[in-house]
Amino acid sequence: MNGLNAVCRAIDTLNKTVGRLIAWLILAMVLLSVFTAIARKFGFGSNGWLEGQWYLFAAVFLLGAAYTLQQDLHVRVDVLSKHFTAQTRAIIEIVGHVVFMLPLAVGLTWLGWHDFMQVWQHNEMSADAGGLARWPVKLLIPVGFSLLVLQVLSEIGKRIHALATGEKA
Amino acid sequence: MIGEWGWLAPLMFAALFLLLLTGYPVAFVLGAVAMIFGALGVMLGAIPIELVQAIPERLFGIMRNETLMAIPFFTLMGLILEKSQLAEELLEAVSQLFGRIRGGLAYAVIIVGALLAATTGVVAASVMAMGLISLPIMIRHGYSPAISSGVIMAAGTLAQIIPPSLVLIVLGDTLSVPVGDMYIGAMMPSLILTGLFALFIATVSMIKPQWLPAQPALRVEIDWSKLLHALLPPLVLIFLVLGTIFIGLATPTEAGAMGAAGALLLALLKRRLSVSLLNQSLDHTAKLTSFVMFILIGSSLFSLVFRALNGDLWVEHLFTNLPGGTLGFLVAVNVLLFVLGAFLDFFEIVFIVVPLLVPIIHKLGIDPIWFGVLIAMNLQTSFLTPPFGFSLFYLRSVAPKEVTTAHLYRGAVPFIGLQLIMVVALIMYPDLVMHNKGEEPSSFSEVNDLSNVGGQAASADEAIRLMQEIAKEQKN
Amino acid sequence: ITQPTVQWRLASSFPKSLDTIYGAAEMLSKRVAELTDGKFQIRVFASGDLVPGLQVLDAVSNGTVECGHTAGYYYVGKSKAFAFDTALPFGLTARQQNAWYSQAGGRELLSELFKQYNVIPFAGGNTGAQMGGWFRTPINSLKDMQGLKMRIPGIGGEIMSRLGVIPQTIAGADIYPALERGAIDASEWVGPYDDEKLGLYKVAKHYYFPGWWEAGPQLSFYVNDAAWAKLPKAWQAAFQVATVEANMMMLAAYDARNPQALVRLMNQHKVVLHRYPDDVMQAGQKAAFALYDELAAADPMFRKIYASWKPFRRLVQGWTNLAETSLENFMYKNAK
Ligand code: NA
Ligand code: NA
Repeated sequence: MNGLNAVCRAIDTLNKTVGRLIAWLILAMVLLSVFTAIARKFGFGSNGWLEGQWYLFAAVFLLGAAYTLQQDLHVRVDVLSKHFTAQTRAIIEIVGHVVFMLPLAVGLTWLGWHDFMQVWQHNEMSADAGGLARWPVKLLIPVGFSLLVLQVLSEIGKRIHALATGEKA
Repeated sequence: MIGEWGWLAPLMFAALFLLLLTGYPVAFVLGAVAMIFGALGVMLGAIPIELVQAIPERLFGIMRNETLMAIPFFTLMGLILEKSQLAEELLEAVSQLFGRIRGGLAYAVIIVGALLAATTGVVAASVMAMGLISLPIMIRHGYSPAISSGVIMAAGTLAQIIPPSLVLIVLGDTLSVPVGDMYIGAMMPSLILTGLFALFIATVSMIKPQWLPAQPALRVEIDWSKLLHALLPPLVLIFLVLGTIFIGLATPTEAGAMGAAGALLLALLKRRLSVSLLNQSLDHTAKLTSFVMFILIGSSLFSLVFRALNGDLWVEHLFTNLPGGTLGFLVAVNVLLFVLGAFLDFFEIVFIVVPLLVPIIHKLGIDPIWFGVLIAMNLQTSFLTPPFGFSLFYLRSVAPKEVTTAHLYRGAVPFIGLQLIMVVALIMYPDLVMHNKGEEPSSFSEVNDLSNVGGQAASADEAIRLMQEIAKEQKN
Repeated sequence: ITQPTVQWRLASSFPKSLDTIYGAAEMLSKRVAELTDGKFQIRVFASGDLVPGLQVLDAVSNGTVECGHTAGYYYVGKSKAFAFDTALPFGLTARQQNAWYSQAGGRELLSELFKQYNVIPFAGGNTGAQMGGWFRTPINSLKDMQGLKMRIPGIGGEIMSRLGVIPQTIAGADIYPALERGAIDASEWVGPYDDEKLGLYKVAKHYYFPGWWEAGPQLSFYVNDAAWAKLPKAWQAAFQVATVEANMMMLAAYDARNPQALVRLMNQHKVVLHRYPDDVMQAGQKAAFALYDELAAADPMFRKIYASWKPFRRLVQGWTNLAETSLENFMYKNAK
């Protein structure tokens, strides 16, 4: 059980670090967006800057999903479930994660990787003048979902540990 | 037309609601239902397995949807306003102005709610700021806890109907209409709604004066310079968000970033911006963005499978065969949205339900902008209807102990009623949504003059002249 | 009800609101069903319903859907040679494109490119010459193009940028308000019929012609080659003739609707027509062919197709000019 705990803690630390770092990309997004508007007004401008904004945006929500799960901030409908026992809730969470989330997140990692490899091999670019290479933003999908896979494993581990030891997860 | 496996689609909807009740995260439930029914569809031969490859394509479509960048922009702006206490100062100053009249603090809340609403598009910041500051004062001065909570939640929720607004942005995107048109369309109805709130407070203060007492204690000199200072930040932000579009500096998407940057700058100028405040706000924004976008991703998985099972045809069939034609459809949609609003938040409703309604409104010839404003007004109630209402949650998290959940629920009821009155008013008087701008008058001679500008080739003039002759003939 | 023997999904790159373009896919679906006694059904999905509009080639290539209706030039980020499937600036008119594509080896050459993506292409409509976009203020010379902010995607945008224009592919929902208030100065779209529905005339009165980057843009049906191979010969033929009909009818629909819409724009909406200044067109054409030479040097596939396209263009221009344009010019000058 201690080994399990250590793995879960390592995963949590990883995703927490990633999550806290990518939060700063929001500031970058804000500044880039403001800069794009002002630069355009002064006769400079590039589709690359426009695209850079949604590249950053995608990085924020894809790489931040695992951290959001760890912090239990994915919204729930708790009308009924708030009356469940902690044990029932833990079991629901474990079943949901094992049966649905793991296959989904693994599947999306795989599909995203496949998609990324196609873009990488063709060196696909934006179709617009001054636009960016597509591989970095395509890479976000498999990376984001593999972080999510790890976090789902950690969440399962923590709940199994809690059920087994009776401690709070 | 719906096919052999048509029954799977309704079942899918049922499964969604059932699984939501387990309390498993909404985004993941959507994905889970998609997975179960996708697998079922593949096994029964109703869906080709290759369709799963649409998932990364759809995900990429969501990633490059720049319009949704408004979510982090507006959230960050709201959080900075709240955490740097700029919202608090505004509320204090306005309360001072209105405190002396009966129900004055309630008017102050409505006015500040509307002002904050005009700067930002997120409810959380408004409700939490006002809940933290106003609610304890109102309770202390003998205001009814129910009315106080109700007015704070309702005024805070104005953020979603007064432009700029995330609801209007997301709806505009889903209905494929310009966000600007949605803003213009929502202007009048949202002002009327604000007026209705004030009217309600006035009525209550006459019928039940003990619920909304006047505040002789607040009868102090008004500090005009403090008031101006407090009013400045929201005005600056209104300029940054709406003004930068107006002067042609920013696109509506960039205007959100202007507002967020402006809020940061204001906090910095007031020496309130610490690294830890910035860090907290960014962290919070990232998490909120992630959970909203994952609901969208989940909805996208859900609707992919739902469509593959011809569920969209089923919904279309269901809604176009309602008695009462267009009116029947509108009533049914509004009842549906109101009920769903009690259990789901507006993102889920807009992402899952509204796309299914789009083909129907086109078929019935309903103006999508008017329809969007109508839905936005209806979804306004979803913030206040128990058990699942964001404003209820936000206020609950900051309310003082003596305010019970029952107070919140009771306080919300009259304001839900007022919002529903607006929904009915919009159906009865569609002209309240004014987005059709008249043509600027321009004479035919001006057309001739301008077309001759510059050294164009003779054949160009001839081409234009010929087309003009033909156009003139067509006119007669 | 008897079930169809084959059920295909068609992903369109277009929304239902572009009814002329979107309608071509529905026409294909209807005709194929009629020709096969309802046994071969194709369900058409609008942009975004199954996959985003700009991902249709990927979806057909992966077999996510059996077929799609899209425009090749959306995919120039993968290979610039995809532009030949639709239009190159200062390229072929609709009739010339049809001639090159179906009778002068164009489709065969493009098939080599599409083979790499497991796709079989079919011509699937044409808008005819498009308009050159909506401007807030008139431009009188090449100088006025400097620093002009214009929403113009793709290779057209690349050439515009070489003329000093700042191409800005802003979000679709932002086009109208950005143009209204001047965050951008101009935006191109399609032609009078579709532009009228988009309503840009309300915010930018100056309507320029010709859309020199789209003299005759061809839309295409793409079919996944594995799905195609599974079709009985007779159904392949049914599909093929249906694409030919859709190809012809879309152009006919635009040719019928565009002039009526232009008249409405002029009479009811007081739109001001301008031709692009000569120096803009000349600089544009020069920049375009300089770009094609660069692309041919860098990309073997582009080079190969360009080697067929360029001489064909020259030849057919001469013929069109001699036989059609001369008569048209006479008739227009002496119109009655
Ligand atoms: Na607002
Ligand atoms: Na609710």
